Amino acid sequence: MKGRNAVKFFSILVITGILTWIAYYGSILGFDIPGGYDMRPGIDISGGIDARLYAVTEDGSVPSKEDLEAAKAVIGRRLDDKKVYDRSITYDAQKGYLLVQIPHKKGEAFDPQKSIEEIGKTALLTFQEVDENKKDELGNYLPTGKNVVVGDDVEDARAEISQQDGSCYVALKFKKEGAAKFAEATERLIGQPIAIFMDDQLISAPTVQAHITGGEATISIGGQNGSKAQKEEATNLAQLIKSGSLPFKLEAKQVNNISPTLGSSALSVSLLAFVVAFILICLFMIIYYRLPGFVASIALFLHTVMEILALSWLGITITLPGIAGLILTIGMAVDANVIIFERIKDELKSGKTLHAAIDVGFKRAFSAILDGNLTTLIAAAVLLKFGTGPIQSFAYTLGIGVILSFITAVTATRIMLRAISDLDIAKHKWLYGVTMRGGKANG
Amino acid sequence: MVNLYNKRYYFFILSALIFVAGLIAYFAFGFKLDIQFEGGTVIEMRANKDTFTEENTQSITAQIAELVQNTVNKPAQVQKSTAYDTSASKSESYDVIKISIGSMDTLTNDELSSVKDAVIKELKLDADKAFINEQSVEPFIGKEISQNGVRAVLISFVLIILYVWFRFKVMSGLSAGVFAIIGVLHDLMVMVAVYLVFRLPINESFIAAILTVVGYSMNDTIIIYDRVRENSRLLKKVPLPELVNTSIIQTLNRSINTVVTSLIAITTVFVFAEINGIASMSEFSFPLIIGIAAGCYSSIFIASPLWVMWKESQKKNKVKPAKV
Repeated sequence: MKGRNAVKFFSILVITGILTWIAYYGSILGFDIPGGYDMRPGIDISGGIDARLYAVTEDGSVPSKEDLEAAKAVIGRRLDDKKVYDRSITYDAQKGYLLVQIPHKKGEAFDPQKSIEEIGKTALLTFQEVDENKKDELGNYLPTGKNVVVGDDVEDARAEISQQDGSCYVALKFKKEGAAKFAEATERLIGQPIAIFMDDQLISAPTVQAHITGGEATISIGGQNGSKAQKEEATNLAQLIKSGSLPFKLEAKQVNNISPTLGSSALSVSLLAFVVAFILICLFMIIYYRLPGFVASIALFLHTVMEILALSWLGITITLPGIAGLILTIGMAVDANVIIFERIKDELKSGKTLHAAIDVGFKRAFSAILDGNLTTLIAAAVLLKFGTGPIQSFAYTLGIGVILSFITAVTATRIMLRAISDLDIAKHKWLYGVTMRGGKANG
Repeated sequence: MVNLYNKRYYFFILSALIFVAGLIAYFAFGFKLDIQFEGGTVIEMRANKDTFTEENTQSITAQIAELVQNTVNKPAQVQKSTAYDTSASKSESYDVIKISIGSMDTLTNDELSSVKDAVIKELKLDADKAFINEQSVEPFIGKEISQNGVRAVLISFVLIILYVWFRFKVMSGLSAGVFAIIGVLHDLMVMVAVYLVFRLPINESFIAAILTVVGYSMNDTIIIYDRVRENSRLLKKVPLPELVNTSIIQTLNRSINTVVTSLIAITTVFVFAEINGIASMSEFSFPLIIGIAAGCYSSIFIASPLWVMWKESQKKNKVKPAKV
């Protein structure tokens, strides 16, 4: 092995080692780096519920993105109240539904059916007169039932930034009827608070500063002007107020409820399948291609580790089809190496030296690998765009796998193979699947 | 050298036979739609160890179906299957009762609970462990999924044809792209035939499997095209059928080895899923096995020979007017 090639070869081994360590332990030298165990399992693995809540509007139209965003805020808040923090809520603005996923947790007393029913209900937003003397132990106002206005009276609520001092506030706009009711109340309650409740939960209690007649009011937010926290609070409050006047009802149209036992056994089975498939493929490559096959197995290992890290770093949810995609990718990832090694064999048979054969083999194989991988990538991208949930997870694993195989099967294999072929003991053509006599392919 | 091009009609006939089998199955049974496409509710429950025996399975499933009918006044289909629980200290197998109800509207939560309670009471199931999985889907979701699926396939076809057109100008790219897609269509038809013959349910996994095969089959065809592209520079005087035949033979080792490694991977998934009774995974991997095999087959025996036939017929057409 010549100096420079040897250095490159060992760097690849060291990189593989470090990445494997991270993937396994999820940390290195005291730094926390997400590893394999930090991957986000999908509901079909961890068990849990997965419901699509469709927006049912009066005129059957698809709700706006802002409305869906507001509905998402309400559902998030409702789940917070139930102490369900480990959930994911996403929406599809094109089709107008929210996808709510809640994984099961051990020993959690939580009825998924009821929860979905509850979180689907539109929250009732009320602005209430409150009694200064009636507070709970945390010092929050208690609802009194004396409504000033309700969510339906609100036309719009948005977070805005003041031109004067840069502070963030919520700008409210009432509908005609609401404006009249609000004007009456603000006249009467100057200096007193009006509390805003979402169902029975206090979300804000601004004090009335003036008699507001125009139907437009602002709620100022405490804290440092223009700070991130202030901005977030204003946005949050505006969304909540707006969600109280959601123009649609939410209805659960697709509900999936999977027990944790089914998920966990599916996971262990697919992991075992993964290990077995990996070993079988490596054996096949080593038996058929010998020394290059061994190098390809190292590259395949690097490929797998990198794919696992890519999935956990990008926070992609891993579902069962996703794992199937991962396993299929290791089968397809060696394709590039198969193409290259076949070329190297051809070149060796035509009488080239080992060094030249390796170089020419890689060069000739490149266009085939590029075109082949790009078409697979096109299919993966289309899947990602049009698929939902598990299919997207599958498309991610497939797409990332194809990209990584460029790095490992083409680059890493070449560096390692070149370095090894410098060694005297690695020069025998038998090691490359070519018999000396007659130059015929072996196998 | 074997001349695969001259033997092309044998391979065309073999593919035609598979299509015919699919057609017969279609007229005999039709498509089996999964709940995702048909709409309705599926409840899966874990049976007690000694509930099912060889002889009583039929009568118990009929009994449960009747029970459901009486409880919620909707027709139900009941099946028994087996699954493994590897989460227990010692992995053990258990029977699963799968109850599929209705097609037009899903059960309400009250109905769902009453069905569960009724079955638990009737079969004296362990109430804590009985529940496995439940799925409710409105029928329109299936329409949405299938529309998206068809759209995804069509869009990927267009993009792939454009790509091949651009990259394989030497082979008059557009026709090469179109015939590559014909090869893919062949594989999709084989897969659909397999779904029909084996009565596999059409669901979201079906679409994922179809699109994987689109990518895979294209990949295979492209590798052969790449060799044709290279050889047409090196062997300018060789007639096209021979050139393509040579290219196929030269890439044959690669085609076989890649299909072998991919099949090793996906077959392992299938075997493990099948042994452990994980239906969702075996339903997904089985069609992929067929699709991947078909993808390799069609690239060698269908797409490339058809493209050559088309090119040859074009040449004849061009010659004719010159004679007149």
